[in-house]
Amino acid sequence: MDENHIVALLPDYLDDALGQEERAQLEGHLATCAACAKELEEMKVLFEAFGQEKGATPPERIKTNFYKLLELEKQADAKVIPLNTPATEKRNWTKDLLRVAASIVLLLGAFLFGQQQQQTQSNKEIALLQDERQEIKETAMLSLMENKSASKRIQGVNYIEEFTDPDEAIVLALIDRMRYDANTNVRLTAVDALGRFTASENVKNAFIAALKTEKDPSIQITIIQVLVKIQEKKAVKPMQELLEREDTQPFIKEQIKTLLPSIV
Amino acid sequence: MKQFTFILLLCLATGTALAQNDYTKSLEGIEWVRIESKADITVRTHSKNELLIKVGSSVATPDRAKGLKLVGEGGTDNTDVGFYVVQDGNNLIVKSLRKSEDAEIFLPATQNFSVKSTWHGDIEIEGFTSEIEANAQLNGGIVIREVTGPITANALNGEIEVQFKTVKQDSPISIYTTNGEVDVSLPQGTPADLFLSSLNGEIYTNFDLKRPDKDGLKSISTRRVTGSINNGGVSIKLKSTNGNIYLRKK
Repeated sequence: MDENHIVALLPDYLDDALGQEERAQLEGHLATCAACAKELEEMKVLFEAFGQEKGATPPERIKTNFYKLLELEKQADAKVIPLNTPATEKRNWTKDLLRVAASIVLLLGAFLFGQQQQQTQSNKEIALLQDERQEIKETAMLSLMENKSASKRIQGVNYIEEFTDPDEAIVLALIDRMRYDANTNVRLTAVDALGRFTASENVKNAFIAALKTEKDPSIQITIIQVLVKIQEKKAVKPMQELLEREDTQPFIKEQIKTLLPSIV
Repeated sequence: MKQFTFILLLCLATGTALAQNDYTKSLEGIEWVRIESKADITVRTHSKNELLIKVGSSVATPDRAKGLKLVGEGGTDNTDVGFYVVQDGNNLIVKSLRKSEDAEIFLPATQNFSVKSTWHGDIEIEGFTSEIEANAQLNGGIVIREVTGPITANALNGEIEVQFKTVKQDSPISIYTTNGEVDVSLPQGTPADLFLSSLNGEIYTNFDLKRPDKDGLKSISTRRVTGSINNGGVSIKLKSTNGNIYLRKK
């Protein structure tokens, strides 16, 4: 007997689906061929493993739905015509396995798809929530910056750390703080905060304009450093003017002299 | 008896003379007191809900000024102690009109106030639980002791020294100078987020931030140090451009 043929028969043998004759032949061969006997052992182990594998229990809801549908189906199709299947007909083992595999794949696919959908949905919700929170934060920040207490206004300005990409309205409000706040500490805090947003033209222009008007040396030096860091060419002229001015503190002139060559 | 009457009269006279050096005004409905002065100003607490201004006894109005009012940049003396006091909404504006005479101002411990010294007056504040803004715009320094509240203080050429009693509130504290030093003492257990920065000066602290020693305080050699102590809390920002920064445990 051809060995390949024997191996092909093994599943049916294990399923007890072989005819008397084939069975005898096969057992005869197995007794003499160690390779096939080994094959059979391995297959047995595999089958046992399949047998022990617990089937997934569907949730109660699906179960009841399923039975309900089954009941309906039964009633609609009460007359069952039995297929003429002789007891000796071989069960196609591989086909069954493929069917099982296909349904597993389908189930898994559906599950993953569902999960994916849910994920996208909740991502959307989080984004929405963040949007709302951003708006609330902006409102909180703007109202804090109008507070009578200088410390609260500083707290409002510090809120900027919560934003990665603040609204231009927020940036403009900070610029207002830098220019007009009655308390110098608030103004300096605003300058420090604005230093992070030099990508905004508004901030750059406000800083360049402040070079001409700002009187507080600490604020002046902070602005000069930021403008040098971003290599702002338009700042060169107002800085040279600061060098000419009599009321500019000597250490600021020193700083400008040291830093200016790094722009030009 | 004659002698007794004389002493009595003398006492009365001194009493009246002293009384002339005091000025009081109720603080009913006042949210902020805004004090401005060219000369030294000391602000202390008292238990009455009123503003009390005490002027040094050395203040002598020249004889020639009799019947005339003192006039200054900010306004006209309406207190007879050399101050211009006026209510603006729920602010009380208190301006010292003299250029060189020191004054002591008393306020309740919970009163919010700001003090601005516009020339070389030093500002000294002690014992408040309210919010304080102190600004020495030119050459004056600032000393603040035994306070708890939100503080914003800045000075140009003077130094700022602040000793906190406890820091229980969560409003930011911001202190900066351009040329002077900043010296702050905090109770050891204060939960805070610290931001210390000095462009040309050094930073020293004995809170848990490291580097070489100076009188037992450690120097942090970078220009800017951030870190939290006791798991973080109130934001404390100390900044100087040319002065050193000292942050001590109390």
